[in-house]
Amino acid sequence: MKKAWLNNRILLHQCAVLLIVLMTGIIVSSCEKVVSIDLNKANPHIVIEGIVTDQPNPDSVFLSKSGNYFEPLYFPPVQNSLVIISDNLGNIDTLKETLPGKYHSSVIQGVPGRTYALKVFAEGNEYDAVSSMPRKVLIDSLYTTPLRAFDGDKGYNIYVVFRDPPEPGNYYRINLHLNRPLPPDSITGERYHLYDDKLSNGNEVTVRLRAGRSIVAGDTLTVELLSIDQAAYDYFRTVNDILTSDRAPTALAPTNPNTNLSNGSLGYFAAYTIDSKKIILP
Amino acid sequence: MRVLLVAWTALTLLSVGDVARLAAQGRYTISGSVKNGQTGEALIGANIVVRELKNVGASTNAYGFYSLTIPEGSYTILFQYLGFKTRIDTINLHEDRVLTVELTAEPIRQQEVVVSGERSNANVTSTEMSANKLEVREVKAIPVLLGEKDILKTIQLLPGIQSAGEGGTGFYARGGGIDQNLIVLDEAPVYNSSHLMGFLSVFNSDAIKDVKVMTGAIPAEYGGRLSSVLDIRTDDGNSKEFGGTGGVGLIDSRLTLEGPIVKDRGSFIISGRRTYADLFLRLSRDTTINRASLYFYDLNAKANYTLGDRDRIFLSGYFGRDNFDYPNTFGFNWGNATATLRWNHIVGDHLFSNTSLIFSNYEYTNIVGATTSEFRITSGIEDLNFKTDLEYFVSSDNTVKFGLNVIYHTFLPGQVTAGPTSFANNITIEHRFALENAAYFSQELNVLPGLKINYGLRFSAFSLLGPGHLYTYDQYGNAVDTATYGSGRFFKTFTGIEPRVAVNMSLDETSSIKASYTRSSQYLHLLSNSTTTNPSDLWVPSSNNVKPEFADQVDLGYFRNFDDNGYEGSVEIYYKSMQNLIDYKNGADLQLNPTVESLLRYGKGWSYGMEFLLRKKYGTFTGWIGYTLSRSLEQIPDINNGQPFPARQDRTHDISIVFIYNASETWTYSAVWVYNTGNAVTFPSGVYPIDGGRLVPLYTERNGYRMPAYHRLDLSATWTLGPRSNLNFSLYNAYDRFNAYAINFRVDPNNPNRTQAVQTTFFPIIPSVTYNFTF
Repeated sequence: MKKAWLNNRILLHQCAVLLIVLMTGIIVSSCEKVVSIDLNKANPHIVIEGIVTDQPNPDSVFLSKSGNYFEPLYFPPVQNSLVIISDNLGNIDTLKETLPGKYHSSVIQGVPGRTYALKVFAEGNEYDAVSSMPRKVLIDSLYTTPLRAFDGDKGYNIYVVFRDPPEPGNYYRINLHLNRPLPPDSITGERYHLYDDKLSNGNEVTVRLRAGRSIVAGDTLTVELLSIDQAAYDYFRTVNDILTSDRAPTALAPTNPNTNLSNGSLGYFAAYTIDSKKIILP
Repeated sequence: MRVLLVAWTALTLLSVGDVARLAAQGRYTISGSVKNGQTGEALIGANIVVRELKNVGASTNAYGFYSLTIPEGSYTILFQYLGFKTRIDTINLHEDRVLTVELTAEPIRQQEVVVSGERSNANVTSTEMSANKLEVREVKAIPVLLGEKDILKTIQLLPGIQSAGEGGTGFYARGGGIDQNLIVLDEAPVYNSSHLMGFLSVFNSDAIKDVKVMTGAIPAEYGGRLSSVLDIRTDDGNSKEFGGTGGVGLIDSRLTLEGPIVKDRGSFIISGRRTYADLFLRLSRDTTINRASLYFYDLNAKANYTLGDRDRIFLSGYFGRDNFDYPNTFGFNWGNATATLRWNHIVGDHLFSNTSLIFSNYEYTNIVGATTSEFRITSGIEDLNFKTDLEYFVSSDNTVKFGLNVIYHTFLPGQVTAGPTSFANNITIEHRFALENAAYFSQELNVLPGLKINYGLRFSAFSLLGPGHLYTYDQYGNAVDTATYGSGRFFKTFTGIEPRVAVNMSLDETSSIKASYTRSSQYLHLLSNSTTTNPSDLWVPSSNNVKPEFADQVDLGYFRNFDDNGYEGSVEIYYKSMQNLIDYKNGADLQLNPTVESLLRYGKGWSYGMEFLLRKKYGTFTGWIGYTLSRSLEQIPDINNGQPFPARQDRTHDISIVFIYNASETWTYSAVWVYNTGNAVTFPSGVYPIDGGRLVPLYTERNGYRMPAYHRLDLSATWTLGPRSNLNFSLYNAYDRFNAYAINFRVDPNNPNRTQAVQTTFFPIIPSVTYNFTF
């Protein structure tokens, strides 16, 4: 429900402006223009993205470097590094670099309940992280209703129903995929769908997602429910805060996302389960 | 007990010398009150000057009471109040006298005729500094966004006070945080002073009598916040005849009714306003939208009654609420409620007392979901407050104040109430209870001719009370220990000793040098995901994990009046140091979090600057020019690698020019121009892709960049249609400057391989019209 807090604040802000518009009949159009800003150029930072899933395909770790904010966007891969994933049962896998900066597993397999450790030796530094693969939670059902949002967006409300396990501390990420190519932002008004059981531990939960804008009847949506651990949830939540909150004078100073990686690396390491279901929009 | 002892000792010490002097010289006391002759309203801060005695005078307190003790003799006494004709009484003083006077309002155009020596120079002779009083007349003439007169926006035009966001009511005082301002409405602290996400304040200017803001030299009777005091007093109501005022604006309408309960003995006032938004929504054909609600209202009510010559009772209340509900999806509502019962008692000609019982509540509710499956999240704070203040007018050059304040706070950090079919559980984050006590003593003395000192001491104590749990956290923020305390048990107490000193050295009749030192403590802290007051803000008490904040400020100023006190000028320099400022760990999630205290970081801040103010208060042209040159810095371990960084509100230059021209009986024009350096902001210094190509900005230094400079001109014209009505036209942002409300960094919507910086402008040129009437 954390998302709700954030969205609500943005929405309320829009409402305040809407009220002013309604009241005055004046178009208080918030005008946007692209401006040129001279930004500092930070030294390149290492970015590690490590994923272990319960799916049969190999697990992967991507190593790269950050770039300058404005063009040209270039993120050099970090090559010839030693990347090891191990689990709490003693299985060890040294990943192979299949493409520059992209490392893949061959032995290790994601199993719910196990804890995985990532070790990366790159450019003379060692980076570590640990992630536990949570118990797999399945999608019970999906259904839709027409969306008529306050901001005028039309499309579908997608409801994802699942049962939260009885113990507290379950975290979820929900992904929506469309059966035809679309820029990622056009499916919904927000970038990550995250959910935790802080308010609803042990209950049957219905999460409402917005699928607005360019979604039409006949489209097929694939909904993935990821059971993630707290560290991954915190990472995605804080990335989401950076990507979705406007830098209004009312916003806190932005900071880099909370990561479970050591030694100042950017990125995350997450072990999670995936359950997916399809729905054809009526 | 300790408190009483301090007060008693202080009084005794004083009385010995003064009583002896009184007896020896045959001194007598004039006391009474100063009132508005038309309405019977007590005038706050009216000056009483004895022409024959240099440097002898008094001013009325917050209830209009004054007391002046001078040697036997014949005197010319002047009663001065801005906007009123100075009243001159000649008296033969050979016994104690009660002198209650009524002043008559002076038409602005007659103020041009200067009678030498009739205008007050109190701003030069008092020990008060870094303080400004706003006249409601000025507030009403100054143009504002959408024509809604708003004192919180008008005070932002004074030096040392900065707006926290365009069009908003939040403010920073001399580099202090938004939660460091003590905002009191008839002595009741107001915890959230904004409507409509901060675009309007909760203070309806129709019901306000007096506004005073202090950013330095804060007297000992105020405490609990570090940076400023905004003391707002509401009208008592006309005690002579029934009447009303009202207004129709673009956003809301206002109506005020007032009148005597018993003529000249008691009066009442009721003032309300409400927005129209929901009426427009009902016109919608959409069955969801036409059931939506979106409005705010507020209601001020006050009654007072005079019992005999020595007692007066006031009962006042404020109730306001914002409501927003979008059926079956979500809703919010929030509001403040305050109630104050006051008893003024004149113990003798020399001793005035006021005792207040105050209730104050702020509550915020967020509703999620449809009717039976909905759940509500509520948070808030509630105070029960007892306050007693005494003023002892020992002699014309010796005034003593002392008092006590006890506040019982109840904090409701978060509670979830689930509907019968809701998937949410009922959850309550533990309530917190605290007792905030303070006792103070201060004395204002003329130590030598031309040298006045006001010194005081405020002793504050803050205790967390049971029932409750205290958590101890390790360095990672995990609770490692829990202590449980039973009901009523004191489980953590902090104390603060807060000296306050202000000195005035008079150079001549029209100029003086003033200096002051203020120490203040703050035991309540606002946790917020944003820097302006938001409805979901959380007030938390100091505890074993959250240290009290404290500040020290020194101030030096030169005050000079020109043109027979027609112009008031001042230059002040200040340095303020703040300890235990609160910041957040990265990505802190504050909502419904029982261990929210583990998410905080503490650091220090300091600000310094120079403020210039030239103000004209009389005549057809009035207004002021204010300029502030300042810096505000913070240093917090783990932020910016532990190096000092500019606070967001670090604005090097801040200029406000306010100009009001009373052109004729029919037309009044006004103009406001503001300019300030842009806020310090954090921009990315790099970028990296994650999770299938999402581009995440990389941040390195905190507040290492600047927003573009902000400037704006507002114009207003008021057309008096007759004795009972006027039309106000205003133009916000008259030259349509595209000020940057925000600068966002994002992927170019037209090219996913490019990034861009986008500036948002919120308020272009906005005209508005308001109709005001009285009856």
